[in-house]
Formats: sequence, C-alpha cells, structure tokens
Amino acid sequence: MLAQSAPLVPLVTPSANDLLDLLPELIVGFGFIALMLLDLVVGRQRWWLAVAAIVFLAAGFGASVWGWFDSGNGHTLYFGSFAYDKFSMFINCVLLFSSALVILISPHYLNRRGIHHGEYYALILAATLGMMLLAGAMSLMVIFLGIEGLSLSLYILSGFSRTEERSQEAALKYLLLGGFASGFLLYGMALVYGETGHTQLQQIGAALHSTTQADPMLLAGVVLIFVGFAFKASLVPFHTWTPDVYQGAPTSVTTFMSVTTKVAAFAVIVRVFTYTFVSLYSHWEVIVAVVAIASIVVGNVAALTQTHVKRMLAYSSIAQAGYILIGVAVGTLSNTSSSITGTTGVLYYLAAYAVTQIGAFAVITIMAGRGEDLDSYDGLRGLAYRRPFVAAAMGLFLLSLGGFPPTVGFFGKFFVFAAAVNANLTLLALWGIAGSAISVFYYLRVALLMYQRPKDEQQEYPWSRTTIAGGTALLAAAAGTLVFGILVAVVFNGAQAAQNAILPAIASTR
Amino acid sequence: MLTTDVFPYLLGLSAFMFSLGAAGVLIRRNPLVVFMCIELMLNAGNVALVAYGRFLNSQEGQIFAFMVIVVAAAEVVVGLAIMTTIFRLGRKLDVDDLSELNE
Repeated sequence: MLAQSAPLVPLVTPSANDLLDLLPELIVGFGFIALMLLDLVVGRQRWWLAVAAIVFLAAGFGASVWGWFDSGNGHTLYFGSFAYDKFSMFINCVLLFSSALVILISPHYLNRRGIHHGEYYALILAATLGMMLLAGAMSLMVIFLGIEGLSLSLYILSGFSRTEERSQEAALKYLLLGGFASGFLLYGMALVYGETGHTQLQQIGAALHSTTQADPMLLAGVVLIFVGFAFKASLVPFHTWTPDVYQGAPTSVTTFMSVTTKVAAFAVIVRVFTYTFVSLYSHWEVIVAVVAIASIVVGNVAALTQTHVKRMLAYSSIAQAGYILIGVAVGTLSNTSSSITGTTGVLYYLAAYAVTQIGAFAVITIMAGRGEDLDSYDGLRGLAYRRPFVAAAMGLFLLSLGGFPPTVGFFGKFFVFAAAVNANLTLLALWGIAGSAISVFYYLRVALLMYQRPKDEQQEYPWSRTTIAGGTALLAAAAGTLVFGILVAVVFNGAQAAQNAILPAIASTR
Repeated sequence: MLTTDVFPYLLGLSAFMFSLGAAGVLIRRNPLVVFMCIELMLNAGNVALVAYGRFLNSQEGQIFAFMVIVVAAAEVVVGLAIMTTIFRLGRKLDVDDLSELNE
C-alpha cells in the first residue's frame, strides 16, 4: 500500500568522490575514535593524546586548505545534503586552528586542576566534528545532527571537573537550556519542512522563491529556527546561560566553546538565513536587527559591572555576537557596487574574533592557579611586573576586542559596519559603534590593572609558569591578531572568495 | 490508514505537546521533570515531522524523526549522567538551588 502511494527514494550509493570531498570531516571523525582507543594505550603519559589530537587537527586543516582550492565554485555532496564550497572550508580552517590552540594550552591547565583525563581530547575533537558538520550542512537533518553533536560534547566538557560543584552546575544549566533550545529548533524545522515539503536547503530556497506570500506557519518555523541558533550563538534574549556556563566550566573548555560554538553557529545562520530564507528577508530582517541591537546593549552594559575576567569576557562575547549579527541583518543587500557585503564582514569578523578571544581566554587559562582560576580583577593587578610578555599579549587581545587599529578586531568591526552603511542600515552601524565605545571602558580597565603596581609588593600570586606549549599558543594568537590586522587583504580576500562561492547560490537572483 | 482528515488533529496534538513541554520547562523546578518536558518538546517535533511526512507523501519527515529519536536518547544519557554526578556531590536537585555561580 505504502509503496504505491509514496515514491521511494531510489537506492543509489554515493560515489567515492563524495567520500573524498568529505576528507576534513572524516579525518577529525577518525581522530575522535582513534583518541578514545589511544587513551587505553598511553597510560599516564596523557600528553601523547594532546600531540595526537594536534596531528589530527593539523591533517584536517591541511585537507580543508586542499578543499579550498579544489572545490572551485562549490557543489553539494550526498544528493544535496552537504556543501563542498569555499565557505565551509573557510569556517573549517578557523575552527581547526582554534581547536589546535585550545589543545596546546590544555594539558598543563588540566594537570594543575587535577582533571587530566584522556576523554577530554576525544570530546574536543567530537565537538569540532559537530561544528564542521554544521559549517557544511545543506539539509535540516545535518544541521540538527551537527548542533546536537557539538552540544552533547560541550555539555560533558563543561562538567568535566566532576568533583567541583560550579562545574557541575554549569553543565546542568547548559544542558537544560540547550535542550530547551533544541526543542524550539526542531519544531521550527518541522514547520519549515511541512510548509515547503523539503529538508534540503537548496530545495527549500527554491520552494520559497516560487511562493509569493508567506504563510504564518512558515514564518513561525523560521522564527523558531532562529531562536535555536540564537541560543547557540548566545544572543540576547537567549544569552542567560552564557556567563554562568563560561564561569563554571574549566577555563580551557570556556576558551574552546566561547570561540568555536559562535563560529559554527554564525556559519549556519548565514547559510540558512542570508542564503536560504533570502526571499523572506523582509520578514526576518527586523527580528535579526532587534536581536543584534539588544545583544550589543545588554552585553556591553552588563560587562561594565563585572569583577571577574571570565564573566566580563562572557558578557563581551554576547556583545561581539551582536556586532556579527549586524552583518547577518545586512543580508545580501548592497546599494553600491562595493565589495564589502554583510557575509564578507561576518566571515572576516569570525576569523578576527577567533584569534582574539582564544588569546584572551588562553591568558586566563595559562595563569590559572592550582585548583582554582585566578580570574578576579584584583588577581590580575601587577601582572605586567611579574609576567611582562603575558601581560603584553593580554593587552593586545583586549585592544583588539575593543576594536583598536591596527589589530584584527578593528577591521572586523570596520567591515561589518561598512556593510551596514552600504546597505543603508546606518542606524544599525551607529548602534554598533556606540556599543564599541562603551566596551573600551571595561577592556581598558583590565589592561590598566595589569600595569598598576601590585598592592602588596611582597605578595606572591600563585600564577602558573608559562609552558612552551602555552607560550606557543599565545604567540600564535598574538601573531594572528597583529599580522592579520596589518595584512588585512589576506583574510579579506579569503572571506570574499568564500562568500562568492557559498551554496545555496540563489542569492544572485535578488 | 491515515487519511487527510486526521492531519489537522495530529498537528494540533503536536502543538499541544510542544506547549505543554515548553510550559513545563518554565514552571517546574526539578531538573528531572524539566528534562522530561524537554523530551516532550522533541517528541512534539517528531509527531509534526511524521504527520507532515505522511501528508506530503515524502519520507524525509520519517527519516528525520528517526534521527531525532537517536539524538534524544544520547541527550538523556548525558543529562542523567550530569544529574547523577550532582546528586553524588550531595546537592538537592532543584534548579532554584543552582546559584553557586553568579556572584
């Protein structure tokens, strides 16, 4: 009965080429399994796991760079459910680079906190795999699997310190609110599927394009999907978990999730909203713009009153997400022939945010004391006199977050705001600039504290010494912050090429 | 055999389940019950997916529902593990008591 009424999907096996084009994801996925097995072999020499993890991440990075040149104008894999384009490769590179830096700073920190278990590295790779799936997802199913893959790994990682109440509390909060958001996301996907009849983004885009008026059920679905994504990107009003989870989770985990989750979430927001729901732009533009402004205001104002660096960076990351969302709100609009579009701005900002935020959190991770994080403002007083290089690096990251030239942070903001002005959304850009002006206060406050004389000259803070691996990570992040700020064109051209090749390519019909 | 007449009722059922789950998450204080409400929300999505899939004569909805079931099961494993750990730390399970953070 059923076979007659419902045409079955023809049983064709995917070609070997599809598998080969999936190489970056396969390498990281294989690494995830290999690390779990390797954990049984290495015994107490767990730093071997860190080495192996970096090898896998570097191999994945290499495969992504190869994919960047190989993908050309991009095509889809597995009958349209996964993208092989420059956009996903750009995001892959940012994700893998960030993950590798996190792995570098992790072993020493985990040892000092007494939570150096082998599963840590496997879970980081599992979360990275989920994010890479999200970056390339072209089907609602793959998006859902990617989001849950990264979320489940991060729930465990936030509660990685099993004997510490704060860590467990962070894990439970993240789990309950994350599950709540997944419920919204799934229901939204169900509605969009029901109204368009497809789960693949290309077909959804085509179906939306041919309809003239938007159905209320469809719009409800679009809004619910946005709620699900906004939670992952910690945008106001779905940000309430962010400060608590960032503070309670082990700092190396906070470093990881504050950067990579946002990168992956914005990748999927751009693909789904800017390029798939493009014909509904007039409906979602206002919502996205309001959420962006709310994030900028709430994040910056709340960050002013914080007394701990981890919480301050958590609120500032909410504001940063707001700036990035301006680029999404701009969409594909542009009233000039200028090459700065919203998507290019978003991609550049994501790369800039990744190196800067990783660096700032890495400093806190590297300085962590035995069994506790020394992240209170008082604890940083006089850091420059005892650890001049670390303090200088932290100062650089804070300046970049605040948007001072010639760091990447400045150009990230510049491109996003310029895109908004190009699209006649000057008001949105002004909100962003006002928010950045407020943010300078709390970034500089921390920077100045580090250069003040310690209250008690004799007092010895239990700051950890900087290991070679940690120093390398800091150096790489600082170099990225400065070099990509001076050689803007390198990243900008990459972002532009990624934007030009993004799938689904229906935006050009606008 | 499902006829198209049943379809609006199925959608209504899924909407009702979803609202019930969302309201439960916001009202109930026990993490276990909150977690059950989240599962209810996911299952509301499943009902909608399957109903739409049958209505539209496409299998994507049914396949999607299978994926969601697997993901929900994995989420339960992680969630219960976290709650067990908190319980072993000697804490009462109440979401209002979780205020160690946020000073």
